[in-house]
Amino acid sequence: MIGIITNDETNIFQRQVIAGIRAIAEPKGYAVVVDSIAQDPANRKPISLDIKALSGVLVIANVLPNEALRDLYHSGKPLSLVSHRVRYTPIPAVIPDNTGGITELVNYLVTNRAKKRIVFIQGDMNQNDGIERTTAFRRQLMRHNIPIDDRLFLRGDFTPNVAEASMREFLAQNIPFDAVAGADFLMAISAMRVLEGANMGNIAVVGFGDGVEAAQAGLTTVGVDVEQIGSRAARQLIGQIEGLRINGVTLLSTTIVERQSC
Amino acid sequence: MTQKATREGLKSHNRRLVLRSVFAGEATNRAAIAIYTGLAKPTISDIVGELIDDGLLEEGGHGESTESGGKRPILLHFRPQARQIIGVSITANRAHGVLADLNGEIIAHHRAYLEDSPDKDALGVLQAVINGLIAQLDAPLLCITVGAPGIVMSEAGVVKAAPSLGWYNLALADHLQARYNVPAYVGNNTELATRALTAFKSATPAPHLVMVLVNGSVEIGIAFAGGIYHHSGDLGALRVPPSSDPLEAYLGWEFVERRVAELLHLDPKTMLPAQFDYLDIRYGYQQGDWLCGVIYDELAGHLAQIFAWITGIIRPDRIALAGEIVDMGEELVMLATERASHLLPPELLDAVTFTLAPDPLLSVTGTIAHALDRELGVLA
Repeated sequence: MIGIITNDETNIFQRQVIAGIRAIAEPKGYAVVVDSIAQDPANRKPISLDIKALSGVLVIANVLPNEALRDLYHSGKPLSLVSHRVRYTPIPAVIPDNTGGITELVNYLVTNRAKKRIVFIQGDMNQNDGIERTTAFRRQLMRHNIPIDDRLFLRGDFTPNVAEASMREFLAQNIPFDAVAGADFLMAISAMRVLEGANMGNIAVVGFGDGVEAAQAGLTTVGVDVEQIGSRAARQLIGQIEGLRINGVTLLSTTIVERQSC
Repeated sequence: MTQKATREGLKSHNRRLVLRSVFAGEATNRAAIAIYTGLAKPTISDIVGELIDDGLLEEGGHGESTESGGKRPILLHFRPQARQIIGVSITANRAHGVLADLNGEIIAHHRAYLEDSPDKDALGVLQAVINGLIAQLDAPLLCITVGAPGIVMSEAGVVKAAPSLGWYNLALADHLQARYNVPAYVGNNTELATRALTAFKSATPAPHLVMVLVNGSVEIGIAFAGGIYHHSGDLGALRVPPSSDPLEAYLGWEFVERRVAELLHLDPKTMLPAQFDYLDIRYGYQQGDWLCGVIYDELAGHLAQIFAWITGIIRPDRIALAGEIVDMGEELVMLATERASHLLPPELLDAVTFTLAPDPLLSVTGTIAHALDRELGVLA
């Protein structure tokens, strides 16, 4: 039996990841049990899974503190992290190629669309994905010889409401900009709505990641197949259960999906 | 050589010819393969049958009849998904591997840092990366290829000296073959990166190519007429007059760190952050920072000497700068080329194109090209 620890299995991202895990694990004879420990973020629950009874554990995003992850890893139980990693430890993980994806997005905006003042809505800067995407964005601007203006980096926390509030606050400051990039596509969609409300719907908007909502909103994205994150993570965990000693991260490539927003 | 070995060698050669003709689109049916390869039709029939049984070729659809009429030939197609290849490039700080199909299309990446490994054991990290990719296999594994820094005896599969990994006379290919039960190959990282530039259909053609790779050290890779010269490699230890310091002391990352520290004593006003890399230097240079300008000037001067030596001795069509130093951009290549023009007559220099090879995964891509060369001969 494989256990999944996540914050909220009903969220879009988690739901797709879990579907990918099940698609690989169940045909191989592994039952999958899910423990959502932070469906209510204000009232996090302790882990209810009987870890000892599991063949291995998958932990999605940063639902557990690094110390707990290290303890779990050192217990010898096969463990893989999904869309999260803990630097300076050998804990294996499966993550999207954040650097490659953001590099593609910036190249697309700068080279194909001649944008020079791009607002970047950051993710959760306590998460690996958030840190890597912001770092990659800054560095790719530097490669294009575009001066870094810290006023163009907005807080988003991978939370659409936070991104929306940041975008409104930013527009009130009248700082010049010619495009918006979201560290995830849901935040980018929130920014689109704010821009449309301010009669600025012609501003180019792009986002990292892809999903039905992005397609419906006509958002140009750099896509990562979220279900594949789950299926690759399941393969990595099963590999460990079957005796492979793995450390480091499996990276999933991204591709540009052009739509009307840019 | 025994008669049996000769027969097997010939059979293997013919099999490669047939496979390559279909892979490259030169022939799409048995009769066309016979014309293209010059092999007898019964031989073609046997080999194609074996390749279909192995899953490397498949039949599908019919081609046009010949002008003289007759049955329309059954078309043959290469099946890139029939096998997968693992290629890993290991350097002093990390191992980066890919899982690829037989077209060289990358299916998954896996990366591990030596500093994250509890025992800092390079061989252990290499195997952990290979294991990470084995877990992701969708098809049978064809072979494993590893690129390493330092002196590598490709044909013997031995890493003779890779000091940054602590490997000396390591029979790496034999070790991996015994562990994973598939053929294994090794090569020097820079040679493999050079192979990547000449291998795949999208590569910019340059029959005679020299790659200068600058990371911690300085290495060169050479390709003549698209084929790799297997005795190039680490130049970093070469002593350079008048001080007789090694070349890497003038061009490697240690040089940059040392010069920045020295220059900061002269004038601490710089926009370089405390922790910096090549990209920060480029950004500072573009913003007019004096210290970054000095670093550009000095690196360009040292690089110009290497460009001039290579041009004078080898006269390649193209010299490509690779490694972490490419983050200094075209500006560095232009400055170095301009400085090299003072060291060589223009008729020599004008015949060479100087470029950047900015893809950070060239060595890894080269491992896949090397594997396809060695196992199937489809890129040769």
